[in-house]
Amino acid sequence: MALCQNRLQEERQQWRKDHPFGFYARPQKNAQGVLDLRVWECGIPGKEKTIWEGGLFKMTVTFPDEYPTKPPKCKFVPPLFHPNVYPSGTVCLSILNEEEAWKPAITIKQILLGVQDLLNDPNPESPAQAEAYNLFKKDKIEYEKRIKRAVRENQAP
Amino acid sequence: MEQIPLPSSLEEVQNLIRALYQPNHPDTISQIQDVLQRLQRSDEGWRLAQDLFQNREDNIRFFAVLTIIVKLNRDSAALTDDLAKELLSTLINWVFQSLAEGSASFVVKKLCSALITFFLHFPALWEQSIRHFVYCLDVGSAVPVEGVDEKLPTTVLVEGLEPQRLKVAIWFATALVDEVGKTDMNSAKFMPVHEKTVKNGPDVGCLLARGFAAQEIQSDTLSCFQSWILYAQRVPLSTSGVLLDPLRQLVALALPCFASPHLFNTAAELFSDVLSNYSNFFTPEHYQALFELLNSPWAEQQYSQLIHGKNHEEDGIAFGVLLLAYGEAKVDELMKSTSQSAQNFLSKLAGLLAADGFMVGQDHIFVPALEFWSTFAETMIDAVYADDDDSLVVGWKSYAEEHIKMVVSNCWRKIQWPPLDLYSEWDSTERTGFSDARKDVADLLQSVHTIIGKTLVSHLVSAYQAGVNGQNWIEIEASIYCLAALSDCIAEDEGIDGFFNQVFNAGFFKLMAKTNTGADGDLAPYRLKQTGLQFIERYKEYFVRNPHHLFEALSLLFQSVNDPVLGSHSARAFSSLCQSNGPKVAGQVDTLVEEYRLLRENRQLPLDPLAEERVILGITCIIQACPKGEDRRLEVFWRLYSLLDEDFVRAIKLKEDPALLDLDDANYQRGVVVEGIPGPHSNWMVRFNHQLQQYKQTAAAQGVGIPSGEIALQIATRSLRCLSNMARGMQDSAEVNLEAEGGRDRLPEDRLKLLQTTIISRMAQLRRTFPRSSEIADCVYNVYRAGFIESEPGPFVFPPESVVDFFVVQRAENSNRAGDPNIMTTPKLGTLLSTACTFVGSLHGTPDSVVRPQLARLLPWVISLLQEMGEPESDTEVAQNGICFVQRVMTKYPDLPFMAKPEGILEFFLGFAIKVLGGKEPLPKGAAADFWSAFMSLKPSYSSTSPLSAPEIQSLVASVMQDVGPLVAQTLMDNIGGNAARSELDKLSDPLKKLIVNHVHAQQWLQAALFRDDFPGNKTKTLGPEDKMLFLKKVVGLRGARQTNTVVREFWMACRGANYAYAS
Repeated sequence: MALCQNRLQEERQQWRKDHPFGFYARPQKNAQGVLDLRVWECGIPGKEKTIWEGGLFKMTVTFPDEYPTKPPKCKFVPPLFHPNVYPSGTVCLSILNEEEAWKPAITIKQILLGVQDLLNDPNPESPAQAEAYNLFKKDKIEYEKRIKRAVRENQAP
Repeated sequence: MEQIPLPSSLEEVQNLIRALYQPNHPDTISQIQDVLQRLQRSDEGWRLAQDLFQNREDNIRFFAVLTIIVKLNRDSAALTDDLAKELLSTLINWVFQSLAEGSASFVVKKLCSALITFFLHFPALWEQSIRHFVYCLDVGSAVPVEGVDEKLPTTVLVEGLEPQRLKVAIWFATALVDEVGKTDMNSAKFMPVHEKTVKNGPDVGCLLARGFAAQEIQSDTLSCFQSWILYAQRVPLSTSGVLLDPLRQLVALALPCFASPHLFNTAAELFSDVLSNYSNFFTPEHYQALFELLNSPWAEQQYSQLIHGKNHEEDGIAFGVLLLAYGEAKVDELMKSTSQSAQNFLSKLAGLLAADGFMVGQDHIFVPALEFWSTFAETMIDAVYADDDDSLVVGWKSYAEEHIKMVVSNCWRKIQWPPLDLYSEWDSTERTGFSDARKDVADLLQSVHTIIGKTLVSHLVSAYQAGVNGQNWIEIEASIYCLAALSDCIAEDEGIDGFFNQVFNAGFFKLMAKTNTGADGDLAPYRLKQTGLQFIERYKEYFVRNPHHLFEALSLLFQSVNDPVLGSHSARAFSSLCQSNGPKVAGQVDTLVEEYRLLRENRQLPLDPLAEERVILGITCIIQACPKGEDRRLEVFWRLYSLLDEDFVRAIKLKEDPALLDLDDANYQRGVVVEGIPGPHSNWMVRFNHQLQQYKQTAAAQGVGIPSGEIALQIATRSLRCLSNMARGMQDSAEVNLEAEGGRDRLPEDRLKLLQTTIISRMAQLRRTFPRSSEIADCVYNVYRAGFIESEPGPFVFPPESVVDFFVVQRAENSNRAGDPNIMTTPKLGTLLSTACTFVGSLHGTPDSVVRPQLARLLPWVISLLQEMGEPESDTEVAQNGICFVQRVMTKYPDLPFMAKPEGILEFFLGFAIKVLGGKEPLPKGAAADFWSAFMSLKPSYSSTSPLSAPEIQSLVASVMQDVGPLVAQTLMDNIGGNAARSELDKLSDPLKKLIVNHVHAQQWLQAALFRDDFPGNKTKTLGPEDKMLFLKKVVGLRGARQTNTVVREFWMACRGANYAYAS
């Protein structure tokens, strides 16, 4: 637990010192206004020169007590139309899976950049929602139309 | 290209080396490199290096030394201790030779690297490497390690070194610690290296002390010092003090370097780095000395240069970074100190937020300073909340708060927008940097609010009022931006209403209404209005409590929805405010619908479609919030729907008759497709007009008609999207429920029915007119879905039989019944089936007598769609949702699948579900696993409406399992035997558990499956029959317990054998 808190403090400082343009990540505040380091509100911008450009997608990152031994859970709020995002909004990505590529050294910055990469580069091996996966595989034009709409609905300010 | 032959003489080798450093084609260079590397690695490498070094050319000498490094890394194990010692002497002598003969510094530095490579391989032969090297430099030739005069202290040795040799000694010491630092500190292999390196501590201390005394070497000395401190931090042995004590003694010698202009940046980097990363390195005396330095007249001058315009380049902020690093290292102490000196220091740090120039692009110190103050604020919150004893806090808190107030005031000034002409010169990095810094300020303000609470709100409201009085839009914008940033902390607190009344009473709405953005992209009012709209949206709770301002707010937002730049922002704020405040403005609903109608009629260009959807959503939320049981509610709904219906009719007619198209008519202009995002840099109106002109020009130039079909489709789509937003808006929210009068809605049934029939048939008509449009299909399904969630009667809550009528006529586009006039094809069959799943889930409150006959119609329809699709994996979405549908029906009405007509469809479905279970697609496979789990553990309860009794159903399940059980078992075992992806195993363990628990023959079926010839695990040679039996025994013995998953996982790994890899 203490390990988790210390690491998150460290992550918070590192993020403040160095974070990629267009992203945001901040711990939620509880009712007294004190930071709850275990739940972060983040924003992932679509990459430039991709159909995702111009969008800013809200994601909640929740850290378990066992963090950094176990990975955090990333969830788009509201759920995002994407082959690797579950209908609940949870992101399916190898670096977020304890049994796959998660390593305690992975930073929040790396996670958010990883999710940003995933946006335009879905992994067809791990589908998480049927509709986006199906369109991605079978009808790219319709798929891109849907993405453009999602970008419009989640426009970066 | 011809291959380069291996050189046969030294001369040829030298020529190759010369050629390597000449400009050449990359392929040639890589070929030369290949040849030379082969020589370096050969047994002759040592000899070759010796011979090459005798040449005075720098490149050839460099290559000779490189060859030694290569040989050391490859063949050092073959060297005896004597040979190694000889090599050390040679290398040291080469240093002298190079110095004497004036070789370039890169040769000497490479020699230092070679010496360090030697040390890494032979640490025991060169324990006191630095002392020995310095001794040799002193003597002027290589001396055997044991030949060093032990009585001579290192201080004396370094004292005698002339500057050139001293410099070489410092290069060596720097490279040594950098290279050693790169090796793994925890590996046993390098343990001796680190032990010996640490023992060099006192010698390094002497060497660097000498370096600080020699003016021309101070810069190299500072870098070396920094490298050793950071090494000392990382190496676990450093606690012994052997390394730390001598290094700490050097701090006093390093401090005077600040005074020298050419050393200032290096010194500042060293101290900032150590303060930020290793603040324990410094002793209290060091901190005191540093503090005095930072408050000296020299520092005053530096500070003033930094604040007034000398911080435009990164270099110029070194002093500021140093101040901040000191502040961060001592943040707790400074915060709790009430001394004048600490107060002065903190004031300086706050002052860093007020440097000249706009932040980020011109002022580089702002963001680092903001980071410091965020840390300060959070430290303060921790301290204030951690100490229960207020008396501990009371002494310093007010002092710290004063600084925080200054910080707020400086930030407020800094976030103000630059003039448009300046902003337009900024590149995208500067613009993004500016916006990001504003967000960071917003973050800080939230922390500050935790500390000073309403004082902050009051301060910002005063700043707003001052801005209004001075008519300074930039200050007004900054003030409301800051207030908006606090919404998460205070929006729900009615204690703020007094302050916010001051804002809204002070002509806020008039001010915003006057602010027209126009199409010329004038940035000033645009920014103010955008922030103003966000401000309203973020404080929607305020308007719940203070409805007297609500309608003004809504009107303001509504007036902006057709703004080409801000439309979508306004519309979002509008719908958000309507959703939370619907009942408060229910009385104004007629006005809003009328205003919407006028907006459609009078505008010069169509609304941005997304903005329009949001407006419709907002208005419908208000309609929904009107008191129930009133005719008026339905009337207003009808009026709004009619506006959309006009579009539907227009679209359908246009599709039939292209001649109707009139692109000068705004009603048809709604069909112009404008791609992309509206925003400050991309004006909606400009792009709309551009697209409109293109339609006209293309038509004129090519002599073809304007694509009226495309325009008709767009008109239909955008209004259908509005309709699906109406359906969302009509959903009952809990809040509205509480305030609803008259309980259950008593809408006049006949009128409601008429309305529903109109909507249903219009949607069907649109589907038939545009049968291939996915968007039309999606929207229609969304309208149906929105009604499913409702329990109260309403325009979109269609009777179940109408819903089923809508489903059962639909087929896939490639269906062999596609030509049938009673059939409607859909491009979105998967989504349609997912809608059907939602429908089944929504029927829980409906009486069985209504549901049963409808599901009895739907079930065969769903299975027939699966029958038509051919390969189960040809459309994963259809397969997944089809299986999911049958499972949902079966769970609620277990008898229905057994009675489904025509005969044989259940058998087909079961075969289908087995095939999918054994397939490759994860999503349908998951659904199939769920289905089989549910089927095998089906426990029907008594139902008066079911023609089959519970025992009858159970016996049917048992009989089916008797037929399909072996195949299900085999499919599961093939998956677990290696065919499945690792991530699917948990899902697949479920039906396995259910099979074992519920079916007596499970063990026998599983055994047969495991011992089939083509069981996938057989490919692994190491997997024997005993492994299979052991697995079987374990899973059966566990009787469905949770550990089954672990056993399954282990067996899967065993079956994958060496080929095991993450398959997902």
